[in-house]
Amino acid sequence: MAAVAAKRIKRVAAGQHGFLSLNHTREQNSSRIGKRKRVNRNKKKNWNKYSDIQDIEDFLDDVRLQERATGGLLSEKPDDSLFFVDTGDQNKVAQEAPVTKRGKSSKPLRVDLILQHDSLVPSPKDILAHQQPNAKKLRRISQRVEKQVAKGLQLRSQKQLQRRKAGGATSSSEKSLPDDDPSRPFYDIWGQEEMLSGDAFYLEQTKKKPVKRPDRLNEKPSSLPAVEIIGPGGSYNPDFFDHQALLLEAHMVEEKKQKEELKLAQQLAVRKEDIATEETIFQEQVEGLVEEDDEEEDEPKGEEEPKGSAPAVGREKKTERQRKREKAQKEREKEKRTQRELVDQRQQLFQLRSIRADLKRREQRTRQKQAQYQAQKEAQKFCPQRLGKLKFQAPDLEVQLSDELSGSLRTLKPEGSILKDRFKSLQKRNIIEPRERAKFIRRNKVKYVEKRAFKAIT
Amino acid sequence: MGGLQKKKYESGSATNYVTRNKARKKLQLSLADFRRLCILKGIYPHEPKRKKKVNKGSTAPRTFYLVKDIRFLLHEPIVAKFREYKVFVRKLRKAYGKSEWGGVQRLRENKPVYKLDHIVKERYPTFIDALRDLDDALSMCFLFSTFARTGKCHVQTIQLCRRLSVEWMNYIVMSRSLRKVFLSIKGIYYQAEVLGQTVTWVVPYQFAHNHPTDVDYRVMATFTEFYTTLLGFVNFRLYQTLNLLYPPKVWYGALGLDACYKNNDETQTLHKDLLPSFQEDAEALVVREKEQKEQDSLKNLFEGLKFFLNREVPREPLAFLLRCFGAQVSWEKSLCIGSTYDVNDETITHQVVDRPNVDKKYINRYYIQPQWVFDCVNSRIRLPVEDYFPGVTLPPHLSPFVEHKEGDYVPPEKLRLMSLQRGERPGEDEDGGDDDGEEEEDDDDDMDDEEATDEKNLKLMEKQKSQGKALSVTVTPGKVKQENKMRLEQEEKAEEKRLAIMMMKKKEKYLYDKIVFGKKRKVREANKLAAKRKAHDDACKADKKKKKKKTTGRE
Repeated sequence: MAAVAAKRIKRVAAGQHGFLSLNHTREQNSSRIGKRKRVNRNKKKNWNKYSDIQDIEDFLDDVRLQERATGGLLSEKPDDSLFFVDTGDQNKVAQEAPVTKRGKSSKPLRVDLILQHDSLVPSPKDILAHQQPNAKKLRRISQRVEKQVAKGLQLRSQKQLQRRKAGGATSSSEKSLPDDDPSRPFYDIWGQEEMLSGDAFYLEQTKKKPVKRPDRLNEKPSSLPAVEIIGPGGSYNPDFFDHQALLLEAHMVEEKKQKEELKLAQQLAVRKEDIATEETIFQEQVEGLVEEDDEEEDEPKGEEEPKGSAPAVGREKKTERQRKREKAQKEREKEKRTQRELVDQRQQLFQLRSIRADLKRREQRTRQKQAQYQAQKEAQKFCPQRLGKLKFQAPDLEVQLSDELSGSLRTLKPEGSILKDRFKSLQKRNIIEPRERAKFIRRNKVKYVEKRAFKAIT
Repeated sequence: MGGLQKKKYESGSATNYVTRNKARKKLQLSLADFRRLCILKGIYPHEPKRKKKVNKGSTAPRTFYLVKDIRFLLHEPIVAKFREYKVFVRKLRKAYGKSEWGGVQRLRENKPVYKLDHIVKERYPTFIDALRDLDDALSMCFLFSTFARTGKCHVQTIQLCRRLSVEWMNYIVMSRSLRKVFLSIKGIYYQAEVLGQTVTWVVPYQFAHNHPTDVDYRVMATFTEFYTTLLGFVNFRLYQTLNLLYPPKVWYGALGLDACYKNNDETQTLHKDLLPSFQEDAEALVVREKEQKEQDSLKNLFEGLKFFLNREVPREPLAFLLRCFGAQVSWEKSLCIGSTYDVNDETITHQVVDRPNVDKKYINRYYIQPQWVFDCVNSRIRLPVEDYFPGVTLPPHLSPFVEHKEGDYVPPEKLRLMSLQRGERPGEDEDGGDDDGEEEEDDDDDMDDEEATDEKNLKLMEKQKSQGKALSVTVTPGKVKQENKMRLEQEEKAEEKRLAIMMMKKKEKYLYDKIVFGKKRKVREANKLAAKRKAHDDACKADKKKKKKKTTGRE
């Protein structure tokens, strides 16, 4: 809106006689002298755009200023209030001093005359001064106050004063202290007993008591100790064999890595015989194109073989007799089976011992399996779990080679960083998942364009 | 068919877990805020047993949270604060963009702030729970207090961590609870016993570090936020148990512990172990009393000694350690505030130096390398000072966290230590695994020797008799053979053991033989290593002698 108004003013000002605009002066002058846009100023649309009332506004502002400041239009004021005749006679001034009579009001002081408000704009009305108290209301207010005092309650004003006295400033200071302020105060968080009593659900729903934390969350996600102490070989001045043991460990890790690399290389290795030579390429290209005598001998041998298979025998329908025979056979087998089962059941009585042994063996196996499963579960608690896209990468062992070992604390060069160690320990104990830094991937291709100005040059 | 069939993945483990993104959307938080919330509340992702089921048939690796955990998170009041903060950031950015500096100031003054007190109370309902989890908190606070104040993480956090770590060290000094210390190439490991709980923490060296780039600083800052709150409350409670005023008026630049800050005028009372008293029999009582005596003597290890730390030794760990065991410490005035006496003080008993040669030497004080202090603390006695003079090759610094089992290789330094420890207390019986094994072996050896000598004597006598000589045996009044009670007991025990071995079944005997073989193999290896070490030492000695001869020969 402001921009539009500014534009309008600019345009109007530019249209005025004798006004020169800053931009494109020459162009405008050369192209627009004598050419003025023909506008119908009688249309409502153009009243605001093309009419200029600045002079009237100025005049009215002037009138209002006079009314405000000097108490009416200066042109309507009597001559005496504005001017005085300077006779230049000092004696006359001394004579004109009036004799002050006691009891009678003297002329008003000059100061008062100057300072009296003579503006035509009246001062605003003080509404509160006009308000007359309602007797009924006043009576009720006084009765209420009496009742409160009789009950022993404090008046609102008194309460506010007391609150102020107690230290209303503390609330703002508490609010402003963030958590990591170095001078933040602490208190006994475990010493205060619970005051609230009542229905747990009600208290939780009304947010008077926090929701109970599930017990599952109090278990630690891993049984590893929080601070894993480095072995005796990691001392700054270690014993020889302890140091060797540590070096051996580091050596094993490196060996393992090398082995894996070797394995990969082996799998990807290409035999020398498989590499294509010119001969083999030529052979491939020429395959099947060259006809030789040997090929004709091979062909008849190939033709004889498929003849060996016997033709499928045409089936006839089964006769009634055959069906009956099959049925009887089936029934006989069934009977045999049931008989056998009955006999087996009776014989089981004599197999009790072996049955017991069998059961024992089975139970033992299940117990073993259960123990194994429990052991596995326990062992799982000591391993870093797979919690996300990335697997846990074990940190490098902090080792100092024999020639890097310094005998004294002064020349010690610390190995590894505790920050990284703590971070990895948190990942190992399944508290946070391993993550890597997010890479910046460009979704849109980058285009290089020369600026127009430079294009002209080059 | 009908519509009452059970559909896949609608019940069971598939509905107990929810992926991270779904959980985040349920809580209506950004990923960073979600992670922060999980860290603060102690909600961890779980790996389900049947991944395929939970992931609805796919095996893509995803992060899973339990649905009940996420539902529990919905009740958390600081979630609202996170959202408020997001709105605050947006408004601030707009005000900055419009260059409304008055608005910026107003917004900054009314920045939304949240408190973690209720979360600490919820996660650790009792004080002992908090003590159990103190390892991590301490290590993190000590780590952050060593960061440079460049502004990468809030400087206020670093200051707060520094304050809390100094308060903690103060408490340890006042209560004399430090037990073990280990100087490693990574950092310094401390172990203390606080109200019955063992607390271990690691402190990095004060040298400049290159900060690794693959560590997520936001995550670490969130952890530190929580841990500083926890440590602050724990410190308050611990100071209460010692009847000390909290927060103490300590100079946070140095461990200026000489400042008086108790709220009652009693002299320092050593903190007695508040172990519960229950019905015990006499033996256990005796053992406990012995332990108590040991601990009391440990607490006054350096009592009455006056130390002076030279410029090149690490001031804070040494001052902390020495004060923990009753010594008086000071250092050069120009180094740091809090030094009480100067190097020229005549009553200084020990001066800790790390240079190969010292210029000016006072007569009535020992000049030692800093390892002496650490080794004394670990071995709980005042070691002989000669091994730690400046310029002398130090004995190796052994780790106090290693438990030596039967038959393991024990470095000879440690054996010397143990003998020294025993030498200091002659009349008491040590009950350690090593010693039992060693004693048994000694007994066997002794008995073998005796038998050998007896046999020799008998053979001699038989020879004499066969030769027809009169045996020079006479009847003499008998000597009262003093029966060694201990010896008898041990013999009885050995007899019982032998009987039990005889009565074992074949299978069990087979297993037992295997175990014994394994033990013997360990012992054999240990002996081998010891022999190697001896050979190495002898070679060193020979070299030294040769050198000496050479130098004397030249002169």
